[in-house]
Amino acid sequence: MLRISGLSHRYPNGMLALCDVDLDVRPGELLVVLGGNGCGKTTLLRCITRALAPTTGRVWLNDSPISQLAGEKLRRARLDLAMISQQANLVRRRSVLANVACGTLGRHRSWWTALGRLPRHELAAAHGHLRQVGLAHLATRRAGTLSGGQAQRAAIARALAQRPLAMLADEPVASLDPEAAEDIMRLLRRLAHDDGLAVLCVLHQVELAFSYADRVVGMRDGRVAFDRDRAELSRDTVQRLYLAAAA
Amino acid sequence: MSAGIGVRGWCVAVAAALRTIGVVVAVMVVVQSLIVVQARPQDLVTGFHGMVDIIRRATPPDFSRLPDVAWPALETFDIAIFGTVAGVCMALPLAVLAAGNVTPSRWLYYASRATIGFTRAVPDLVWALFFVTAVGLGPFPGGLALAVHSIGMLGRLFAETIENMDMAPIDALSLTGASRAQVFSHGVVPSVLPSLLGIGLYRLDENIRSSLVLGFVGAGGIGFQLLTAMNLFQYREVSLLLIVIFVIVFATERLSAICRQRLA
Repeated sequence: MLRISGLSHRYPNGMLALCDVDLDVRPGELLVVLGGNGCGKTTLLRCITRALAPTTGRVWLNDSPISQLAGEKLRRARLDLAMISQQANLVRRRSVLANVACGTLGRHRSWWTALGRLPRHELAAAHGHLRQVGLAHLATRRAGTLSGGQAQRAAIARALAQRPLAMLADEPVASLDPEAAEDIMRLLRRLAHDDGLAVLCVLHQVELAFSYADRVVGMRDGRVAFDRDRAELSRDTVQRLYLAAAA
Repeated sequence: MSAGIGVRGWCVAVAAALRTIGVVVAVMVVVQSLIVVQARPQDLVTGFHGMVDIIRRATPPDFSRLPDVAWPALETFDIAIFGTVAGVCMALPLAVLAAGNVTPSRWLYYASRATIGFTRAVPDLVWALFFVTAVGLGPFPGGLALAVHSIGMLGRLFAETIENMDMAPIDALSLTGASRAQVFSHGVVPSVLPSLLGIGLYRLDENIRSSLVLGFVGAGGIGFQLLTAMNLFQYREVSLLLIVIFVIVFATERLSAICRQRLA
């Protein structure tokens, strides 16, 4: 389980982007975070992965206190916490297969992986992950030649190659057409429900949240405005969240 | 309203005055350069006969000397290859340390920037004189001179290429738990390698031309042969050497352009 307790982050310019956020994401659950621009959604994900150091608060992934770790221990912990972003962020000149297999690097510390080589068995496993996201036929293609939707699925395959316990997704469908967006959301739901991952997904598309989320968290001014199961959530509540953000 | 027009009128007048001053300054810069270089176009007209005489004495090229030119030509080519390969090998680690986005320490950043700046600031001809003094006449000091000068040129371009690359895929790899070395070899290297190879090939092309001149200070190659032939007034051999130089430079330039195109 991904557990966040009292998480706050203040940027060097003094802006308080996150304020005392408490959140749990259970295994097998797809949790969607909604909120207007600048409400702290991305900062939340960056603090969880420790791309940003939280000012106060703690993050645990099962028993591992991610917010307290540093160096090699943090690198090892990151292996259990996959992250996908709005852009797929693949290495454009490498093959799709190599990009996916790169998700396993955290498990290997041999000198030859430091020299740009990838273990043969991880390449075979990467093939399996590509099959899982429906991209096996593009394994040898250069990542730079993929369409937006294909690249995003390859990024998910790379995340799966990490064999994570939790997956964070920062607006993974923002740059995709509606059909590709539905595709990605279906995939994330499947990973949560079938593979038991704890999935925390930041979205701007309210309709997708209502269609796919198990639980929805609304954020405003760096705080959690509501945290409800999808079935209990009304559209009015969500609308009020965005109206308040616009005001 | 009239005050607004007045301010606008002043702005237009000031802009026009600045433009005029700019043109006058540019003309003065050109004129002073003509004075400093003592430009005398009429001397070109009066010296025309001398040029024609040299061209007459240089034709036809002495192709019987072609077998003697083959070795210095190969030497010239190899000086450039050695200089470029050694330059790339030394410039690459320095460039990594000198790229602000991947350098492991600020001290190493400044130290490598200073090294790159120094090797670039000293001309290759001066490096050649330095190495001729150190290791004697021949192609080796030429290769060393090109290698050291290439560190400066390549180091700067390599570092800029690394600094300008898209960091998002690199950050994404870091978040997978990969170590710094793994992020470098699996993310940074594949992202910038084609650009670095292109720069290296361009440098080879430049080093071929530089290696010709280095022969003039005793650093071997076809340049040395050219200087000797000119000193001995062997103008037909000089014209042959110029043809060989043209072929080498043109062939390398084309080859390098084709390779760079394929890498793009």
